[in-house]
Amino acid sequence: MTRFLLRRLGAAIVLLLLLTLIIFVLQTISPGDPVRAYLGVNASPADIAAKRHELGLDASLPVRYLKFLLNLLHGDLGISFRTHRPVTTDLSDFLPATAELVAVAFLIAVVLAVLFALSGALRWRLTGVLRGLLLLAATAPPFLLALGGIVLFYAQLGWLPASGQGADTTSPTGILLLDSLLHGDLVQFGAAAQHLVLPAVVLAIAPAVAIGRVLRSSLDTTLTADHIRTARAKGLPELAVLRKHVARNAVGPGLSMGGLQLGFMFAGTVVVEQVFSWPGIGNYLAASIPVADFPAIAAVTLVLGAFYIGVNAVVDVLQALADPRLNA
Amino acid sequence: MTITDDPILRRRFGRFGGGSGTGASTSVNYALVGLLVLVTLLAVFARVLSPDDPIQPIGDLNAPPGSPDHLLGTDAIGRDLLSRTLWGIQTSWFAALAVVASGLFIGGLIGVVAGVSGGLIDSLLMRFTDLFLALPGTLVAIAIAASLGANLTNTLIGISVVWWPYYARIVRGEVRSLAARPHVEAAKLAGVGWFRLVFRHILPGVVPTAIVAASLDIGNVVLLLAGLSFIGLGQAEPAPELGADTARALDQLLAQWWVPVVPGIAVLLLSLIANLGGDAIRTLLAGRR
Repeated sequence: MTRFLLRRLGAAIVLLLLLTLIIFVLQTISPGDPVRAYLGVNASPADIAAKRHELGLDASLPVRYLKFLLNLLHGDLGISFRTHRPVTTDLSDFLPATAELVAVAFLIAVVLAVLFALSGALRWRLTGVLRGLLLLAATAPPFLLALGGIVLFYAQLGWLPASGQGADTTSPTGILLLDSLLHGDLVQFGAAAQHLVLPAVVLAIAPAVAIGRVLRSSLDTTLTADHIRTARAKGLPELAVLRKHVARNAVGPGLSMGGLQLGFMFAGTVVVEQVFSWPGIGNYLAASIPVADFPAIAAVTLVLGAFYIGVNAVVDVLQALADPRLNA
Repeated sequence: MTITDDPILRRRFGRFGGGSGTGASTSVNYALVGLLVLVTLLAVFARVLSPDDPIQPIGDLNAPPGSPDHLLGTDAIGRDLLSRTLWGIQTSWFAALAVVASGLFIGGLIGVVAGVSGGLIDSLLMRFTDLFLALPGTLVAIAIAASLGANLTNTLIGISVVWWPYYARIVRGEVRSLAARPHVEAAKLAGVGWFRLVFRHILPGVVPTAIVAASLDIGNVVLLLAGLSFIGLGQAEPAPELGADTARALDQLLAQWWVPVVPGIAVLLLSLIANLGGDAIRTLLAGRR
């Protein structure tokens, strides 16, 4: 197991380095000039040269890459051209809301995926309709689902709010659900939960179908396996068969797909946050793109990309725990 | 090997494809492929078919769908939504085809070289491919497009850079399994040169798998492109584009819902047809073998 862990960790570090290298190369070939962005178009050549030196832009490329990595390790991701604040400060403002949204959306996705898989494998009647709806919804662009959700549940039915996180006070962690719960403020908690429902469900649908399909096919394979027939033949109750002989065997592929989809959600959240004015990192990214705020774009890519790589590494380890045969 | 045997590839080709098939009859499958052809024709002739100039305001502001002169209505400055949507379909469809073609070309090249060479070159190329496969593709594509400057060409470059590894794996796997077949052994023994061996005896066997993979992938690319266009990585105003047109009209949703919703429904239809058509192609080709 230790060898497996070390190897997986090594692979994750190589991937992270590759990601930083890509971002660094993009930064160097990007047409936006950071010096001009700092000093404005009317700066004198001497000022520009001085600033270039100060920022280390006159050094050779390998030196600059090493410096970039060192800064990264110190949590220095540069200054945003748009907000004129350190990007790290911006991120710490916007990241919690995204984490909250993605975490809740992922939970919803897992529940829907299990329903989807069971409805196919065990052929429950009512869930067949749910499966068809989910399949259709997963083919739609997320922004269309979001618009449909707003029209139906906000404008027509008036059940759910359509924008924002629902906070009128500043929250210490930025994760409203957690804060309000810790304070015992149930009104605030209810408002936060209500604001979460639509964006989280929209974000959850495509991953739910992807995970559900994989789970379903691995359930199909497991349920027709010889040892299951034996278990049934010896008169074991169906629930015990499912719990003892099916679950652990069938969960592996679903786990790996779940990790991958959690990673995809970090990209999908950009669109969803924009529709629902969710005060997260995706909205921050979308605001940075039109003004070519490269430090901000690079930082968001690095942070979300690092999450993606980390999640996939953890999933591989979990998979090896669930199925020791993979641990070779 | 089929696409769905490989656990990593199943991740991508698993929306409609990848299961046990739709179980639809052959004629239904031909009809679905026909829909694919129809959409392509619609995209080719979009400019001829659109009733008005998509960029010039020509009618009432915010006319609802079903208006006498404007079947799908008009937007906030009086541009015909049907014309804008048709032009947008043209852009989206050809852009998606271009991305898939680039993936097939780059990935196919790497896959064939790796599969035919074997040994050190094979394992080096596949290590490189797996590295790219493990990167967060969408995020890297966003970073590339945004740093080169937000426009459609750069978005296509960004997606193409991260899109080929799937194809490299598929093609390499297929080449390896074909290379072990008796007819390739026989050709080798007969003294056939490597060029002829690859192009006459191996590549033709790879084509069906590659076509199935590509057709199942078009829907994914359509959705991804619409999403990137939505967050501002597409053509600039006033060019018609499906994702961006929705994003620009978001504040009209509750007053004139059709302005943001019509382009979104066009994306839904494109992605639906691409997925069903891709699945139909897979079923038809599988039946022929």
